[in-house]
Amino acid sequence: MSLIVLSSLLFGIGLFGVLARRDIVAILASVEVMLGGPLLLLVGLGSTARAAGDPSGPLQAVHVEGIALLVIVVAAAEAAVGLALLVSVAKQTRSTALEDMTEVRG
Amino acid sequence: MTELVSNGVFWALAVVAVTGALVVVFTREVMRLTLGLGAFLLALAALFAYFGFGFLALAELFVYVGGVLILILFAIMLVHRSSEGRPELDTRDPWLPAFAATGSVVLIATMLWPSARSISKITAPLGLPDLAGRLLGPLLPQFEIAGALLLVALVVVVVVSGGERE
Repeated sequence: MSLIVLSSLLFGIGLFGVLARRDIVAILASVEVMLGGPLLLLVGLGSTARAAGDPSGPLQAVHVEGIALLVIVVAAAEAAVGLALLVSVAKQTRSTALEDMTEVRG
Repeated sequence: MTELVSNGVFWALAVVAVTGALVVVFTREVMRLTLGLGAFLLALAALFAYFGFGFLALAELFVYVGGVLILILFAIMLVHRSSEGRPELDTRDPWLPAFAATGSVVLIATMLWPSARSISKITAPLGLPDLAGRLLGPLLPQFEIAGALLLVALVVVVVVSGGERE
């Protein structure tokens, strides 16, 4: 019960940051907070699956660990590419505010 | 007594995680944002360990705290070096985002509430050989795709960062 409250609260805080912040660094950090909530819930569910000890169940702890590892890898790749884009764009606009990045060039 | 200590540890970590997340969302100083994100990620890794997923906690520490956080610090240093004055992070009018976020939290919690009783906390530790056997067995395609994704991300970062040089 407390795990559901905590994970949904973390997701909500991150969502608020994504919607309310203007700076890309803050938005990327808020996305990381958003990802943390569901990941925590997934790990908690994996803990439950392990406690149940049902090897034929749909959700096993090993699956959860594998999925969570993949989520961490994808999030790391997303952060790396996002920050590289941020550095590249900020060199031209001299700002990290989202409103200043209105020019899209091919 | 053991359950009391266990609940205390869980709530202490939860308070640290929520406080770090709130600092990330509300602070105007970039360094405080980084510190808040670090506290949040450390608390998250500790919660993973609390649930018995030690390997996942280590991966979280290495990838996020040791990798992504340092990357954010480098990006802040590179981006704000040429700007004048102390960098500050602006926030939009918070009421509409707060309404959307609160609605999302209520919806998610309501949807998950029926399964709340089935979630337990402390379990036996997971065997790493079992995980390794899965990653190098049935999950091998996903494992390889993740590696390829990281390689593509690395190439994209190099191209994006070094593309403007003349």
